[in-house]
Amino acid sequence: MDYSIEMLHIRKEFPGIVANDDISLQVKKGEIHAILGENGAGKSTLMSILFGLYNADKGEIKINGKKVEINNPNDATAHKIGMVHQHFQLIDTYTVTENIILGKEGSFILNKKDASQKIKDLSDKYGLNIDPDSIIEDITVGMQQRVEILKMLYVDADILIFDEPTAVLTPQEIDDLLDIMKGLKKEGKSIILITHKLNEIKAVADRCTVIRRGKMIDVVDVASTTQSQMASLMVGRPVNFKVDKSEAHPGESILEIKNLNVLNAKKILGVKDFSLTVRAGEIVGIAGVDGNGQSELIEAVTGLRKIESGQVLISSKDITHVPIRERNEAGLGHVPEDRQKRGLVLEYNLKDNFVIKDYYHSPFSKNGILQQPVMKEYGQKIIDTFDVRSGEGLDSLAGKLSGGNQQKAIVGREIIGNPKLLIVVQPTRGLDVGAIEFIHKQIVNHRDAGNAVLLISFELDEIFNLSDRIAVISDGKLMDVVNTSDTDERSVGLMMAGVSSKGDK
Amino acid sequence: MKKFATLLCAMLALGSFVFANGQSESAASSETTLRVGMVTDAGTIDDKSFNQGTWEGIVRAGEDFGFTPKYIKPSGTTEADYLAGVSDLADSGYNMIITPGFKFETTIYKAQDQYPDVKFVLLDGVPHPGDYNVVIRDNTVAVSWAEQESGFVAAVAAALKMPNSKFGFVGGMEIPAVQKFNWGWQQGIKYANENLGTNVSIAQEDCLYSGSFSDVALGQQMAATMFDRGVDVIFAAAGGVGVGVINEGKSQRTSGKDKWVVGVDIDQYADGLMPNGESCILTSAMKYLDRASYDMINDELNDAFPGGTSIVLTAKENGVGIPTENPNLSAEIQAKCDDVYKMMQSGEIVVAAEQLPGLWK
Amino acid sequence: MSAKKNKELKSNNFIIAISAVVLGLIAGAILILIIGENPFASFRYLVRGALMSVRRTGTTLAITTTLMLVGLSIAFAFKTGLFNIGASGQILAGGLAATTVAFAVDIPHVPLIFLILLTGFIAGAIWGLIPGLLKAFFNVHEVVSTIMMNWIAYWVVFYFVPAFLKGPSLETESAGLPFEKTLRVSWLTELFDGSNYINVGLIVAIIAVIVIKFIMDKTTLGFELKAVGYNRYGAEYAGIRVNRSVVLSMMIAGGLAGLAGVAYYCGYSGKIQIGILPTQGFDGIAVALLGASSPVGVVFSSFFFGILQAGKGFMSGNTLVPPEIADTIIAVIIYFTATSVMFKNFWDKRFKKINEKRNIVQKDSNSIEEDN
Repeated sequence: MDYSIEMLHIRKEFPGIVANDDISLQVKKGEIHAILGENGAGKSTLMSILFGLYNADKGEIKINGKKVEINNPNDATAHKIGMVHQHFQLIDTYTVTENIILGKEGSFILNKKDASQKIKDLSDKYGLNIDPDSIIEDITVGMQQRVEILKMLYVDADILIFDEPTAVLTPQEIDDLLDIMKGLKKEGKSIILITHKLNEIKAVADRCTVIRRGKMIDVVDVASTTQSQMASLMVGRPVNFKVDKSEAHPGESILEIKNLNVLNAKKILGVKDFSLTVRAGEIVGIAGVDGNGQSELIEAVTGLRKIESGQVLISSKDITHVPIRERNEAGLGHVPEDRQKRGLVLEYNLKDNFVIKDYYHSPFSKNGILQQPVMKEYGQKIIDTFDVRSGEGLDSLAGKLSGGNQQKAIVGREIIGNPKLLIVVQPTRGLDVGAIEFIHKQIVNHRDAGNAVLLISFELDEIFNLSDRIAVISDGKLMDVVNTSDTDERSVGLMMAGVSSKGDK
Repeated sequence: MKKFATLLCAMLALGSFVFANGQSESAASSETTLRVGMVTDAGTIDDKSFNQGTWEGIVRAGEDFGFTPKYIKPSGTTEADYLAGVSDLADSGYNMIITPGFKFETTIYKAQDQYPDVKFVLLDGVPHPGDYNVVIRDNTVAVSWAEQESGFVAAVAAALKMPNSKFGFVGGMEIPAVQKFNWGWQQGIKYANENLGTNVSIAQEDCLYSGSFSDVALGQQMAATMFDRGVDVIFAAAGGVGVGVINEGKSQRTSGKDKWVVGVDIDQYADGLMPNGESCILTSAMKYLDRASYDMINDELNDAFPGGTSIVLTAKENGVGIPTENPNLSAEIQAKCDDVYKMMQSGEIVVAAEQLPGLWK
Repeated sequence: MSAKKNKELKSNNFIIAISAVVLGLIAGAILILIIGENPFASFRYLVRGALMSVRRTGTTLAITTTLMLVGLSIAFAFKTGLFNIGASGQILAGGLAATTVAFAVDIPHVPLIFLILLTGFIAGAIWGLIPGLLKAFFNVHEVVSTIMMNWIAYWVVFYFVPAFLKGPSLETESAGLPFEKTLRVSWLTELFDGSNYINVGLIVAIIAVIVIKFIMDKTTLGFELKAVGYNRYGAEYAGIRVNRSVVLSMMIAGGLAGLAGVAYYCGYSGKIQIGILPTQGFDGIAVALLGASSPVGVVFSSFFFGILQAGKGFMSGNTLVPPEIADTIIAVIIYFTATSVMFKNFWDKRFKKINEKRNIVQKDSNSIEEDN
C-alpha cells in the first residue's frame, strides 16, 4: 500500500491520563485525511507527536514506508512535514516574504528578491492570492492563514497538517480555504485536517479517522458516511444537529438599546446609532463579520466600555452609565467572547469562579467572610447541572479545564442565576459537537423560561439554528432585523457584507 | 500536616547543629595574645578614605608585630548595626577594636561598658550617649584631629601654586570634622594673601556642603558648576562626593583647563591620575589615620595604652598635614609649606577650629 | 506513608524554596572553599552567630521582624498582582512619621506604642496610596512610581530629620528615642538577656501575618484583591471595582511596609538616619520570593534571612570568610528563587518518573483501569 504517513500503535501518557492509546493513522499519498474527535480526544497530541513536539511512549512512525525518528520540529521539516497551527506564528510588523524566510535565511545576506519571486510563483500556482510584500498586520486573518500555508510550501512540504484551520475564519474565507486544500491535493500533497466540524470534512476529506477519548474508533470513507454517522462515532451516541426549539412567545421588552454610539480602540466610532430591542422569551442573534462593531456593542451593554451617547435599558432600568455590578444585579448574565481573558480567573478554582460575581452578598458571604460550605454546595450544583468535567471537581483550577468544560462552567454560572437578560458571545467557539449541542440546549431552555437572550456568533449556522430574530450588523450600523423564518443565509450574508436588503446603498 | 512536620524536623536539626557546640568562642583565645579588629564605617574597606587609612595602619602594625587583623562590615549604618559589628568581633575573641569615624561615638559609648575587657580606639570622635556628655572609660581612647590645621596648610600650598585665582570648597555633610576643614581652608587662604603675597578669593556661593558622603554624580555636578563659575581650585572634603569632584577635575584638566582639586583625609594623588600620567590632585589635606591606629596598637603592646583619654592629633604630633611628596608642587612651594607647618608646630600660627568672623559657613 | 501512597507527588513551593536555599548554600560553600576555609565550620559559625546565645537570638529576631513585615508587604502586593518595589520609601515614611509622633506626644508607653504603630501604618499606606492612584487612574506602572516615591521619602527624611528631629550630636540622624518611647519593652528585653534590639514589632509582625492570611483566605476583600491580581480583565468583567482594588492593595502593602519602618526605626535602631534608603525594602523582595508570596512562607524565609544577616559578622570574625560571602549567598538564593521555574520542572520530571513507576506497580496488582 502506498502510504505517505503511517503512525502505528501510538501510545502517549500524561500524568493521570492516556492521551493516545494504541492509535494508528495511515494517510495515503494525495489524499485529504480528516481526524475527527471531540476536544480532548487526543487529536492534538497525536499531531504533536508527528510534528516532533512530543515523543511517543510506544509505537512507530513511517514516512513513505520507511521508519523514521521525529524528535523535534526540525526533524519534521526535514521529512517534509509542515503544520498550520491554530494560532499563527507570524510577526505582525514584517512583510509576508520576511515572515516566510524567517529562520530559513541560509546565508547571512538575505536575498529577498528571489524569495519574494518564489513566493509569488507559489501563490499563483495554488491560487492563494497573496502579495509577498504586504505587511502581516494589514492583511485579513484568512490571508494570514494562507501565509502560513505558503510557509510550508516554501520549504517544499509534502505532508500538510491543518490544526482546526477554520476556527478563525468567516464563512466566505472557509469556502476559499477548502478550495485551496483541494488544489493542494491535486498537486499531490497529502493533507491531514484536524477538525470537529463535520460539514468541512464532508466537503473536502477523502477518509476520516475518528478518535474518542484517546482511542481510535474507526476509519471511514467520507463519501459513503453521513454526517450524523460520523458524529455518533465521535461522541459515542446519536447526536441531534437541529436545535429542538418551539415557536418563540416574546413578552415584554427586556433589553432596549437606543441610538447607541460607542468608540472603538482606535478612538473612532465602532458602533453607530445602533438601536435594538430584545424581548422576554426570544433569542435575537447578531450576525456580522468579525470586527464590525459586535465586540464594542456587547462591551458597551455589559459595562466594559464607555458609551458615548445613546441609552441602554434592562427591564426599563437605565443602565447606560452604571457600574458592571449594578448591571448584573439588574438581571444581566454575560457569557463573554474570550473565556480565558474575561470569563474565568484561571488561577482560581471552579468553586471560586462560580461565585466570582456573587461572592459579596449573602449567602456566599456574611460580614465580609466567605461562606465556604455554601459556595461548595452552590458550585456542586452547577457542576452537576451543567456537566462540567474536571480532574478534581470544585477544587480544579479553571485553567486546567478543557476549553469545552471551561465554557460549560461559564454558561452554567451565568444561567443558574436565571438572569432576565442573557448575552452570549461566541458560546461554542472551538467546542465539539457534543458540547455545542449541550450549550445550545441550555440557551434555548433559558429562553423558554421566559428570559431574553442576545446571541453574537460569527458562525451563521449557529445564528440560524438558535435565533428567533436576526439583527445584521455591518460597519457598526444595524442593517436590518429579520425573522429567522423569513430569511436565508444568502440574504443575511449579503447584509453582512454591507449590502442593504432593500437594495439601496 | 506533612509540610509542617518536615519543617519541624528541619528546625530541630538546625537547633542541634547550633547548640551541639555550645562552648564560647572567646575562651579559645588566650589572655596574652592581641587580636585586633576593625568595624568599618559606611563604604568599603578600600574607600580611599577613613576605612582604608585606618585599616592600612592596622595592617602595618600586624606585619610589624605579627598578628592577623580582621575587619567587619556592618549590615547598615545605624548605631544598632555598628554595635552588632562590635559584638561580632568581641564575641569572636577580639580584644582590641578600632572604629573609624564620628558615627561610632554613641556605639563606643555603649560598647565600652558592655565589653569592659576589650580595648576600644575611636578615631575622629569622642564617646557620648548622643548629647556630648563625654564618657571615656579606661578601656577606650578617643582620637581626633585638628582638621583645620590640615586645611590651612593645604590652602597655603594651593594659594602659592595658583596665586591669582578663585578657590572653592565642597563638603559632605555639615558636621564638625568637615566644617573644621572648611574653616582651616579659608584661614589658610587669608594667611597666604596677607603674608605670602597671593591674591586668592573665595566667594560664599563657592563654599558648599553637598549633604552626602556618597553621591558621586552630585559631586561632579557641583564641581562642574563651580569650575564654570571661574573657580580654579576646589577643596573636596566629602568622601564619595569628593570622588565626583575629582572626576570633574580630571575632565577639566584633560580638556586643557588649569583647574585643580585638593584631596582630603589621605593622599589622594593617585585618585586624580589621568591617562597622560598626571594627576588633578594639587595636594591633600591629610589626617594620618594609619599613624593613629598603628600608634595605639603599639602603645597597647607596650602596656602604655592611654585608656580613658581623648587625644587630639595636631601638627605638633605630626598627626595632620599635607603629603611629604607632592608632584604638582614645586620644591620652592613645598619648602614654604614646610615653614608654615613648622610655625604651626611651634605655635606661631594658630588655626581656629570655629567659624571666625569673616569666614563663610 | 502507606496511606498516602496513592497520592500523586507534585512539586510545591516548599520544595522549590528549599532547593533554592540548598543551591545557594552550595554556591556559598564553593566560594568558601576557594578562600581556603572549611564551609561546614563557616556555616556553623554563621548559624551560631545568629543563635548561639539568647541575646544574639534576640538580635536575630529583631532583624527578622523588619524583614518579615517588608516581606509580607511585598508578598501581599505580589498576590494582588502588583510589584511593590517601593517598600524602602514606605519604610522611611512609616518610620519618620512614627518617630516624629513618638517625640511629639507625651503619653504612657503602652498607648504610645499603639499610636506610633498606627501612625506608621497610615504613613506607609499614604506612600502606597499615591502609586496606587497613579496606576488605577493614569495607568502609571507601579514599579516606576514606587521607585519615585522611594526618592521622595529619601529626600523628605533628608530635610525633615535635621530640621526637626536632630539631636545635639549628629546632623545626619535624629536624636535617639528614649527607651519608653520605643517599641522596646523591658519584659522582652529581659526575656532575651538584655538584647538591645528585640521589640514588640515581632509580635506585631506575627499578628500582621495572621491577619493578612485571614484576609487573603477567608474574606471577600481578599477574594476581590486576588481576583484582580490574577486576572484584572476577568475581575472587571465580574463587576469587581478593579481600580479600587489596586489602590487598596497598594495601601495595605504600603501600610505593612510602614509598620516595618516603625519596627526598624522605633524598635531596632531607635533613631532615623538621613541619606540612607533602607535596603530592607529590597531584601523584602527576596523574602517574599523565597516565601512563595505566602504569609506563612514569609515567616520562615524572613527568619532564614535574619539568620544570615545576624550571623555573617560572627562568621567572618571567626574565619577568613569575608561578610560579603554571606551577601553572595543571599544573592545566589534570590537568583535561584527567581528562576524557580527551573526547579519546578526538575521536580516535576523527578516526581513524574516516581509516579509512573508507582502506577505500573499499581496496575500490575490492580486490573481495573481507572477512567479519567
